[in-house]
Amino acid sequence: MIKNYFKIAWRNIVRQKGYSAINIIGLAIGIAACLLILQYVSFELSYENFQANKSRIYRVRQDRYDNGKLSTQWVSGAYAVGNSFKDAIPEIEDFVKVVRNDKVVTEVNHQPVELKKVFFASSSFFRIFTYPLVAGNADKALSEPFTAAISETTARILYGTTNAVGKRLNLNRNSDYTITAVYKDAPNNTQLKPDILLSYETFKKFVGPDNNPDAAWLWDGCLTYLLLRKDANPAVVEKKFIPIVDKFTAADMKKYNAAVVYSLQPMTDIHLYSHYMTEPEANGDGKTIYLLLGIAFFIAIIAWVNYINLATARAVNRAREVGIRKTVGSQRRQLIIQFLSESALLNAFALLLALLIVSIAVPGFNKLSGQHLTFSLFSKTSFWLALGGLFTIGVFLSGLYPAFVLSAFRPIDVLKGKMTATTKGALLRKGLVVFQFTASLFLLIGTLTVYRQIQYMRKQSLGINIDQTLVVNAPTVVTDSTYIRNMNALKDELSGQTSVKGVAISTSIPGESVRWNAGAIKLVGADETTQKQYRVIGMDYDYMKMYGIKLIAGRGFSKDYGDDEHSVVFNKRGFEQLGLNKPEDAIGKKIDFWGQQYTIIGVSENFHQQSLRESFEPLIFRLIPDIRGYLSVRTPASKAGQTITQVKSSWDKFFPGNTFEYFFLDDHFDEQYRADQRFGQVFGLFTSLAILVACLGLFGLASFTTLQRTKEIGIRKVLGASVPRILKLLYQEFAILLLIAFVIAVPVAWFTIGDWLQGYAFRINIHWSYFIVPFVTLVVIAMLTVSFQSIKAAIANPVKSLRTE
Amino acid sequence: MIKITNLEKVYRTDEVETVALNKLTLEIKEGEFVAVMGPSGCGKSTLLNIVGLLDDPDSGSFMFNGIEVAKFNERKRADLRKRNIGFVFQSFNLIDELTVFENVELPLIYTGVKGNERKKRVEEVLDKMQIMHRRNHYPQQLSGGQQQRVAVARAVVNKPKLILADEPTGNLDSHNGNEVMQLLTELNEQGTTVVMVTHSEHDARYSHRIIRMLDGQTVLENIMV
Repeated sequence: MIKNYFKIAWRNIVRQKGYSAINIIGLAIGIAACLLILQYVSFELSYENFQANKSRIYRVRQDRYDNGKLSTQWVSGAYAVGNSFKDAIPEIEDFVKVVRNDKVVTEVNHQPVELKKVFFASSSFFRIFTYPLVAGNADKALSEPFTAAISETTARILYGTTNAVGKRLNLNRNSDYTITAVYKDAPNNTQLKPDILLSYETFKKFVGPDNNPDAAWLWDGCLTYLLLRKDANPAVVEKKFIPIVDKFTAADMKKYNAAVVYSLQPMTDIHLYSHYMTEPEANGDGKTIYLLLGIAFFIAIIAWVNYINLATARAVNRAREVGIRKTVGSQRRQLIIQFLSESALLNAFALLLALLIVSIAVPGFNKLSGQHLTFSLFSKTSFWLALGGLFTIGVFLSGLYPAFVLSAFRPIDVLKGKMTATTKGALLRKGLVVFQFTASLFLLIGTLTVYRQIQYMRKQSLGINIDQTLVVNAPTVVTDSTYIRNMNALKDELSGQTSVKGVAISTSIPGESVRWNAGAIKLVGADETTQKQYRVIGMDYDYMKMYGIKLIAGRGFSKDYGDDEHSVVFNKRGFEQLGLNKPEDAIGKKIDFWGQQYTIIGVSENFHQQSLRESFEPLIFRLIPDIRGYLSVRTPASKAGQTITQVKSSWDKFFPGNTFEYFFLDDHFDEQYRADQRFGQVFGLFTSLAILVACLGLFGLASFTTLQRTKEIGIRKVLGASVPRILKLLYQEFAILLLIAFVIAVPVAWFTIGDWLQGYAFRINIHWSYFIVPFVTLVVIAMLTVSFQSIKAAIANPVKSLRTE
Repeated sequence: MIKITNLEKVYRTDEVETVALNKLTLEIKEGEFVAVMGPSGCGKSTLLNIVGLLDDPDSGSFMFNGIEVAKFNERKRADLRKRNIGFVFQSFNLIDELTVFENVELPLIYTGVKGNERKKRVEEVLDKMQIMHRRNHYPQQLSGGQQQRVAVARAVVNKPKLILADEPTGNLDSHNGNEVMQLLTELNEQGTTVVMVTHSEHDARYSHRIIRMLDGQTVLENIMV
């Protein structure tokens, strides 16, 4: 019986080539798009899933309130948090402290080798997190000062083997460590991918015996992860933080009219939902992920809808067969199975084609999305589960309705030719077409908005000149006593070159968040409660000038005044926090900055330190002539190559043992938009696919409806209707559906893009054209699709069309 | 075999009510060859549909082999139909996507006959209908006469007790028409009951009895000698 079903299904597919092609191609595109997006999404959703304790690990994060207002949100907190909480709260089974460190440099065969992801970690690290050791003892690995654990890759780079326990390691030509463990490389789906872990005991040695971090409540920067007991309720644990934090910080906080609140973040939520200061790695975006997931299903549903529409529109053609089968003894159940078999066969072909598309599209998709999907994807159970799921849903979702409709025909009706298209079926098809139009329009509006926003961000003036700037990372292997002398010599040497237009040193450069956060800053003599948090950029004399930072009051740093080391410049946003009326009023005023006084000599215009996604932050510029930081070199693009060679030779001369790492600042700044651009491209691609699939369906549907109206068109023409009138008749039907889709899509899109744009501090205003342009585009595409069949029918000889009836 | 008493069937649309069968009473014995005649709209096709269990009456009794079937549901009707009744239509009603062999095989599939047995029986009947050489052709590759022979083959392959023929020669020329009538006569001689709706006096002469209908009732019966 089944064989007979598939035989009939196969012959139907072959006989109705156009219909089958539309269905198979549409379904294949839908399934392929869905598979690609699902793999991408499942990777993003899989962060920290490999951690055996994932459901019990929480990160403690901190919110700071000044004068009752939320001022700063960090993922790190005070160093004393972990041990203090553990001592007082029985629900906490264990904790680990992780402190991010700058990159370090060591030497292999006299060549400098850089380790970029460096953390101090307490000895419980390997108990709480799942980083299996390939050598060493997990309990003892990080318990002593000057011990380190390294990843397998690091071990191979440094020692050529993973058997590295007991080996010695010198970092920054400064301190010696003993390797106590080698752990398997962290997978890609984790926020913590350390190249090397230094023991937290080492950190304690560095800060000295007078500064016990385990008792420090006003000293931030420590990432604390808690392992809660199995039955613990995180909300209850959070409540228990309050009295402890109060006990240790209340006295100080009262003085500043401030407060700190600690809360818990589930480890598995961090990647997609945590966007605060001091994240160890840039995170993903949950909203984007779910939006993409939505698009994936939109495309699949559009393809399934095509099947339903075409199958039911074609029902009249199949009715006779149903009648005959019923007459010779078929029961309805058998017919339903038969039509589901057809759906299964068609979906199976689509699936094969989808696999082909996926295998061809993977490299392109990776390039577009910045993902690393590989062909090993095909060996993943999740991939095949997704495939199986899509197939099953596809067969039943698209096959069930037509199967029920077709199998319900009464043989005496169809065999006597009384069968006509029902209005109910036509209404359903119209409803589904409206759904397809709505989804397409929504996606078009979304794509256009994303592109406009990205374009807007990239075209806005930054208020600072970042063009033609080469940036070199700060040297790490250097002795304090020689640094300033060598750096000045390097600057002098470069400044003398004709290809160099400016040289400057700073702790931050545009295109990244300012990592130096300073609290408790206020005007001298002002009330303690006026203390505020600022971001600080340390710089040399040349930085402001070279970057073209505009002043709205006072002056910048200058050697002419001699004592500018005790001067500061505020940006406008920072000045506003001081509570003064006019920028000029600030000039000459002094501020308290960590126990010292500095004079305000200037106020600058706000500029975009980061992408336009971020708002302006309160900044303080401090002159620190011997500051260690980025070296910025301004050079004309035409001489970039020459300048790089010159900078490298000077660098090697003055800072031997350091790696020479450079980049161009405009690229670096643009990097911030990479994620948005990728999102825009991915969104655009899948929108095009969705529209393509919808058009395929529309084309098929238009063919059938036009065919069904052939007789009507013939009669109308015989009675004198002109070709344009006939076309109007045919277009009208789809035009109404388009209008309905527009009415539904606009409010949904309005709300969604409004919500999406909220994520950008500087954003475009939603304009009516954002809805009209996509609508007109869709109308044109849809009408062109329909035209192919309609024009053919309208210009056909009526005698011929009447004869075909 | 068939005993119909006071059978009524009314077709209703929003405004019009058409009485197709008006308290019709009729009996057909096993082994009979009956022709039903009458003008268009007299109810003969409705009668055939009800006898063929494709449609149900509004009221009245319909005994098939001694069983009251007037109130049977769709599933029961389908079951009874596939085991007892074969159909021959004016427009052949073959499935275009299936070959001659597969079209004839279809009723056997639905009655659950095993593959080997199916093959044997289909070949047997194709042979009898002299279209064995066309077994792998599709309906559109055959002449009208050949198509109707396939339809007859399909109607008899399940060895039904009753064959219902609705203007079986309506789409055929006289030569092919006579051939089909000959086939039906042979089947009847072998014991199959045949009920045929026709407009053709010539065809009706092949039957044992002609029932003439008007406005949903039998008005005359002619016994053929």
